[in-house]
Amino acid sequence: MSALLEMTGVRKRYGGVQALDGASLTAVRGEVHALLGPNGSGKSTLDKTLAGTVVPDSGEIRIDGAEARIGGPRDAHALGIAAVYQQLSVVGDLTVTQNVVLGLEPARRLGFLDHRAARVRAATALERFAAAFSGRLPLDRPAASLGPGEQQIVEVAKALAREPRVLVLDEATASLHKEQVEVLFEVVRELRAAGVLVVFTSHRLDEVFALCDRATVLRNGRTVATVDLSSTTEDALVQLMVAAPAQTPVETPDAPQGASRHVEAPVSGRTAESGAVALVVRGLTTDRLRDVSFTVRAGEVLGLGGLQGQGQSELLLALFGAARITAGDALLDGKALPLTSPARAARAGVALVPGDRARQGMFASRPIQENLSLASMRRRARLKLALSAAAERRAARSMVERLSIKIGSLNDPVATLSGGNQQKVVIGKWLLDQPRVVLLDDPAKGVDVAAKEEIYAIVRGLAAEGAVVILNSSDNRELTELSDRVLVLFEGAVAEELTAASITENRLVSSALRLAPGETL
Amino acid sequence: MSGTFSLRGVRLPAVQLSGAATVGMLVVAVIVNSALQPNFWSGYALTSNFATFVPLVAIAVGQTIVVLSGGIDLSLGAQVTLASVVAVRVVDGQLDRLPQAVAAALGVGLVCGALNGLVVALVRLQPIVATFATSFVFSGLALVVLPTPGGSVPLEVTTAYRAAVLGLPVALLAILGLALLWWALRRHRVLRHVYAVGGDPEAAYASLVPVARTRVSAYVLGGLFAALAALAVLANTGSGDPFVGNELTLASVAAVVIGGTSLAGGRGGAGGSMLGAIVLALVTNIVFFADVPTTYRQLVNGAVIILALALAGIPALQKRRPAA
Ligand SMILES: Nc1ncnc2c1ncn2[C@@H]1O[C@H](COP(=O)(O)OP(=O)(O)OP(=O)(O)O)[C@@H](O)[C@H]1O
Ligand SMILES: [Mg+2]
Repeated sequence: MSALLEMTGVRKRYGGVQALDGASLTAVRGEVHALLGPNGSGKSTLDKTLAGTVVPDSGEIRIDGAEARIGGPRDAHALGIAAVYQQLSVVGDLTVTQNVVLGLEPARRLGFLDHRAARVRAATALERFAAAFSGRLPLDRPAASLGPGEQQIVEVAKALAREPRVLVLDEATASLHKEQVEVLFEVVRELRAAGVLVVFTSHRLDEVFALCDRATVLRNGRTVATVDLSSTTEDALVQLMVAAPAQTPVETPDAPQGASRHVEAPVSGRTAESGAVALVVRGLTTDRLRDVSFTVRAGEVLGLGGLQGQGQSELLLALFGAARITAGDALLDGKALPLTSPARAARAGVALVPGDRARQGMFASRPIQENLSLASMRRRARLKLALSAAAERRAARSMVERLSIKIGSLNDPVATLSGGNQQKVVIGKWLLDQPRVVLLDDPAKGVDVAAKEEIYAIVRGLAAEGAVVILNSSDNRELTELSDRVLVLFEGAVAEELTAASITENRLVSSALRLAPGETL
Repeated sequence: MSGTFSLRGVRLPAVQLSGAATVGMLVVAVIVNSALQPNFWSGYALTSNFATFVPLVAIAVGQTIVVLSGGIDLSLGAQVTLASVVAVRVVDGQLDRLPQAVAAALGVGLVCGALNGLVVALVRLQPIVATFATSFVFSGLALVVLPTPGGSVPLEVTTAYRAAVLGLPVALLAILGLALLWWALRRHRVLRHVYAVGGDPEAAYASLVPVARTRVSAYVLGGLFAALAALAVLANTGSGDPFVGNELTLASVAAVVIGGTSLAGGRGGAGGSMLGAIVLALVTNIVFFADVPTTYRQLVNGAVIILALALAGIPALQKRRPAA
């Protein structure tokens, strides 16, 4: 079959970073083509050149054999290309309906909007995902009021509503729970059957194997291989991705950091439950949590399971003092934990890696170094006042190396990093603070395999040093791998507690689902 | 940490709250004003009050659209001046030249708006600086067109402006007309795109919204509303004045803020700004009728406006601190 899409020699440079260095990608119609590679390898940039939001410095794109000049999103749309971006492109102040039809609003004469047609189009596109919104589509709610997973679904619906020939999904599953991922996969398979080409990027390799036909692997902006997934093992794929270490930061050229050490990280490292009870939560209630009580021992990793949006993120925010609490309290080492403001929680030794990094986790336009060192500054401040620039740099630099964050310079704004590298910065910032209680909301979202292991190792390390770790994850694999115990939440209350041997992926899914009304998924 | 924790569902009530604050201020202003101004509710006083409100209400709508798009237009007052002096030169006291004068005013607004839009969207200068600069161009041109106050508006126009139709002052009908215009624009694709671009330009661009064109449209709409304000000024005063728009610019920004529209763009609406404009006009009235000595009038006026801005800002503060 002749190629529907051929990208060759695509280059793009940002200041000191060569994001794409002659990347290529060839795919046919009716194919789900995985685009893989470590964080910062150029996947999103390549996707964007296809979707028109980035214009490459050089390179050629052919669609159906004809050279395509994609100078902007409208050109891409005219060619039948639609994209779901890793950095979400929902406009928070617009409603869900308005977002789904944005840019292509159905209109009557003279450009006056046809609200009814817009609602119908949005409802049609979202229908498939209704279960993710507990049955009722929030068509008229501002997108900002939705959780990250729900926003991601809105994004997907927006792309689907454009009825593309080529659909680009850049980590579109990163904030989705297993059940929603299944729905998305069903949709993707239907599109494939209808002849659509889907370019699929994900760091979850099980998803890649479940869904994709072929995979193209990028490294440092260059295509290293295209493989047939039916004849490739997961190990082989990982090897292709990590064979060379992520390009080292410009400022420390050639730091010896073999990627292999990440891969060898211990897989089953559940910490012993020997510590004393450190955190006691009693009857915690907010408008989304109902009477949540539990205890966590020092050194224990407590997982939060259940369907998405059952209060997991809210529980973490509440413990970080960022939710309005109507009843209940928490004790850390026997002392009342202040739940009234994030600043006080942080001072009491609580750290949060939030799920919505763009809004809560970072100062996008500020330098990487500042973002990394901000939360822990007071630790290094002499007499609580003076900061040494050198110490700040050293602290930030060590975190960049530890998490192999791919950066140009520590002075670049965080916004210029690739999605996974931004996530690493958000995590790194709190890890520098040596917290007592670590609240992690989907910490490995969008992070590549090697760094994921590194993050897991750090989480286990923190626990081993006696910290309390509470982990919410949309990835059941992650929960089973890290948790000593899992609380399954349902509608803001603890529905079940899974311990040790009962923490399996199957058990997590069935436990979450058995409680869901109607089992619509 | 940072004040960036915005929890679910907190936004919407905040917008409603700021709407309530604006209406509350309006009610207080009306009560105080009616206590101080003799015959506040008489036909004559109402008519002349509304007659003075219209220009500020119109320019406030224009400023709202620009602000919603993520910009700001500090040249709107100068555009009012330029459009009004051009129109007064064209009409020159003759009723049969009224259509040309109206067209000329709108044409001035269109060209000025387009110029601002191009400078901001294509040359990519900061809106606050760019429009501050163009404001001097526009005021300078106004002085060239009409160096000293003068020119005359046909008597029929000024009389009609202060007349009443079915018991409603024409100026009030003009305000309702402006509201209707806003209502229609809200239902138009251009305004939807203005909201999207002001809310998140990158997301809007990725979603096929023509960002640059939308920005230009916002400034053009701003200019057209400035032209309407200019026509109202002329109908109200009956003659041209090359300095007439000076104070309108910042008043329009204040009206927008009092009305609850976020200066960051993407959130709010002209309904609030229209109320805000009326609140500001009433405050001026109140200061006048409260027998504040002339030397202190401006000071008191300023203080009251700061108070109103602060009141309008409180809901926004609460929104940013849902955890408290
Ligand atoms: N707007 C930008 N300005 C500066 N540098 C950028 C910009 N966008 C991307 N880069 C750099 O280009 C490189 C490739 O980024 P890209 O987002 O394509 O990576 P990715 O493969 O999608 O990674 P991830 O798996 O983390 O999403 C990164 O080093 C990133 O820092
Ligand atoms: Mg990416």
